[in-house]
Amino acid sequence: MTGDVDIGESPARERGSQAFLGQRIDADPESVERGLACLVLTIVELLRQLMERQALRRVDQGDLTEEQIEKIGLTLMALEDRMGELTEHFGLRPEDLNLDLGPLGSLLPYD
Amino acid sequence: MSNGNQQAPGTGSRSPRSGGGPVPATYSSSGQPTAPAPASPSRYQRIALVDLLDRLLAGGVVISGEVRLAIADVDLVSVSLRALIASVSTPGARGPAEEEDSR
Amino acid sequence: MADDSGIWMYAVADRMAPEWFRDVAGIAGEPVRAISAGGLSAAVTTVRLAEFGEQALRRNLEDLGWLEKVARIHHDVIEAAAQHGPVLPMRLATVFRSDANAAAELARRQEDFAAALRRVTGRTEWGVKVSARPPATVEGFPEADRSGTGGTGPGAAFLRRRRTQLTARDNARQTVAADAEKIHLALDELAVASYARPPQDPKLTGHAEWMVLNGAYLVGEEGSAGFAAAVHRLGADYPELRIELTGPWPPYSFAVVEELDAGPTGTGERQETAR
Repeated sequence: MTGDVDIGESPARERGSQAFLGQRIDADPESVERGLACLVLTIVELLRQLMERQALRRVDQGDLTEEQIEKIGLTLMALEDRMGELTEHFGLRPEDLNLDLGPLGSLLPYD
Repeated sequence: MSNGNQQAPGTGSRSPRSGGGPVPATYSSSGQPTAPAPASPSRYQRIALVDLLDRLLAGGVVISGEVRLAIADVDLVSVSLRALIASVSTPGARGPAEEEDSR
Repeated sequence: MADDSGIWMYAVADRMAPEWFRDVAGIAGEPVRAISAGGLSAAVTTVRLAEFGEQALRRNLEDLGWLEKVARIHHDVIEAAAQHGPVLPMRLATVFRSDANAAAELARRQEDFAAALRRVTGRTEWGVKVSARPPATVEGFPEADRSGTGGTGPGAAFLRRRRTQLTARDNARQTVAADAEKIHLALDELAVASYARPPQDPKLTGHAEWMVLNGAYLVGEEGSAGFAAAVHRLGADYPELRIELTGPWPPYSFAVVEELDAGPTGTGERQETAR
């Protein structure tokens, strides 16, 4: 199953938004914008996932009315849709939203 | 000493899944080659780059100190590996061939 | 030795003979030769600092094309040497200032090198990678709602679905992690030493699966067939996981020349089993 990594034609030179690559800042405005969007959306996605889990825990506590639960569900649903739209708008795929924290692994679970 | 055959028994495939995997030269640490090691490009193409760099950049003997040209080892690993990750993960671009999981 | 050149070192062994490398091109197409000192020998190539000096290396290492070319040459030379006996591979881009410096290092650490060579003599490194379907593909089974989201609206329905999904994914992660641990322990039993390398990033491996184990195992020659068979068996025992065997490798993951905490870097853990 393991074949060679398909190197393609884009060496590290063409991407440069991470600090460790030092001087290789890619000046192409479109990819700078996309790189920035990727970073921002990654954080938003992290928050979204945390909020979902928090909401479920809150529902578990059992002190919410049906109306409140319904409202939380609708809000989270809308948030998920909105994230999808934003991600797509910037030409990103869901799996692009992640941050490599080195020894700590990835910011978001491999979902 | 027995002629230590390093090849997996049966097929030349190194993976339990069909489709095989990388097959570097077969050799025996006792010094008896069990198969000739061709230096041809076809052999070298079959070792996955990711597996190779995994070992070459974060494995092997590390020499530190003045005798070596001063390259901080940590820098070497982080610069190289991150560069590798960065080069194949340009958002929106397809990097390595993304295989369908054919299980 | 000219000031503008350095010595690229591939590997150390008890003996290195230049004729072993007749069919293998060295770095930058230059010949591979041997340096001897302290009862040891190293395979080396003279390289130009313009391309392989510190600054140049920092630049070039970021170029994946350059890196791949150089990595494969480095590995091919090591493989050629390994045909003739145990070798200690050097980390990529180990460049000395001069032959004299390289020889001095061999002499200075001859006992450490010799001990490291003995540890890998008659042994082979195998790699075993275990991957799982990404948890996101795990949907889970809707079950009776226990927690009060019994409402009929779409919001409540969304929460029920999401809860089922997240629970299923958490369980899947736990199961997979536990299975990977079992696999590692089973293989460690068959090896004289093992090392859990950091898992490979999916972006590097080229498939979406989540790598849960990237193990390196130092196996005695006589045990290699049994080891491979065990990996095959484990593949059948865990059909939900993808288990890949790579190798045989020169002992990259076990080329530890004890000095302070020299050794493979990374967040993996080393285990040495006394046998």
